[in-house]
Amino acid sequence: MQALQIFLQNWIYLIGAMAIFGIGLYITLTNENIFKIIVGLDIIESGTNLFMTAIAWHPKAVMPIYTATNQLVVNGKVVSADPLPQSLVLTAIVIGLGTTALALTIAVKIFEKYGTLDVRKIKEAKR
Amino acid sequence: MRNDTPALVKRITALSLITILLIGFFLAFKEMPKGSAVNVNQRVSRLYVMKNVETATKMMENGKFFAKGIKPLRTDVPYTPITFGKSKNLEDGAANVVTSIVVDYRGFDTLGEVTVLFLAATGVAMLLFGKEKKRKNKTEPSLIMYVGTRISFAIIFLFGIYIFVHGHLTPGGGFPGGAVIASGILGLFLGKNGYKPNHLGLKVFESLSGMAFVIIGLTGLFSVHSFLANFLPTGVIGDLYSAGFIGLIYIAIGMKVGAELSAVVNSMIVDVEEEWS
Repeated sequence: MQALQIFLQNWIYLIGAMAIFGIGLYITLTNENIFKIIVGLDIIESGTNLFMTAIAWHPKAVMPIYTATNQLVVNGKVVSADPLPQSLVLTAIVIGLGTTALALTIAVKIFEKYGTLDVRKIKEAKR
Repeated sequence: MRNDTPALVKRITALSLITILLIGFFLAFKEMPKGSAVNVNQRVSRLYVMKNVETATKMMENGKFFAKGIKPLRTDVPYTPITFGKSKNLEDGAANVVTSIVVDYRGFDTLGEVTVLFLAATGVAMLLFGKEKKRKNKTEPSLIMYVGTRISFAIIFLFGIYIFVHGHLTPGGGFPGGAVIASGILGLFLGKNGYKPNHLGLKVFESLSGMAFVIIGLTGLFSVHSFLANFLPTGVIGDLYSAGFIGLIYIAIGMKVGAELSAVVNSMIVDVEEEWS
């Protein structure tokens, strides 16, 4: 029980983040459809964001927002989660949204030109 | 990988690559402090939580603070505990520490981020907008859908404004608020066939909001000491009218992101010649 608790507290988020990263990488490497590749890139991005928020967290952390009942500093020590990686993730999510929209747009353009989204067929059609 | 490589070989190669990557990551994890041992008190970001970065910077310039290694903050930096609803005239009056980092301490970063979003939206509009919109074989939405999306749009719009006005007090801010507003506009698209927002108006609105951000930054440059410096009083922590210019910047960002994402949605609802099936 103790070992399970230690495992859950220390490793579960990191392992989950890396699992999501691996799933996204596998999708990106093995698929031939451009749309699926974009979906794989988005999954990679989610894994990275989860990783960054996980390293900012510790088991007894509170949220980094001052409210009437939420004390961030107790006896001169900070008890909240680290706010800096969280703000970086906020930036990364928005940029990920923009790049995804642009990638999908380019995919639409490719479909208009070649009539397919398959990478191999596009390569053959080029010749 | 050649074009004619069998799929199985490809998959095995991908799996082995991922395995190597994961092993590398786990070797790196072993060097990291474990979850219960990670302590914000030993990191620089505690200065953001305690809203005391300026004092620490001065001490760092004098060689007092970081020269002897990082120590508990009580002995090194004069610090008074922050009480919600009572503390006044802090360095940064936002109750949400993440917001105070994103907009105040690292505001220049956010300006770059907004620029990236603007470039992405412009690229989408440049590639997709201006085509003839053909909508064949689409059923006209019912009256209930039409009226319902109109009513819910007003509520969603109000909720988005609530989110970005309270960005310095609650989890939220300009980016989620803008996304909420854009989702309301997506509802309008679903409610009526051939709905067209004013694309030029959206672009002008977005540009004005972006200019407002830069103008607020320049005001900080000329009136205080640096670009995007806080030039308004910070007030009591926890009030709506507190945190200086964070509210103004988040309103600008919220309107900009809302208009931008609406323009993206407008460009993306283009039906390409109907060969999709």
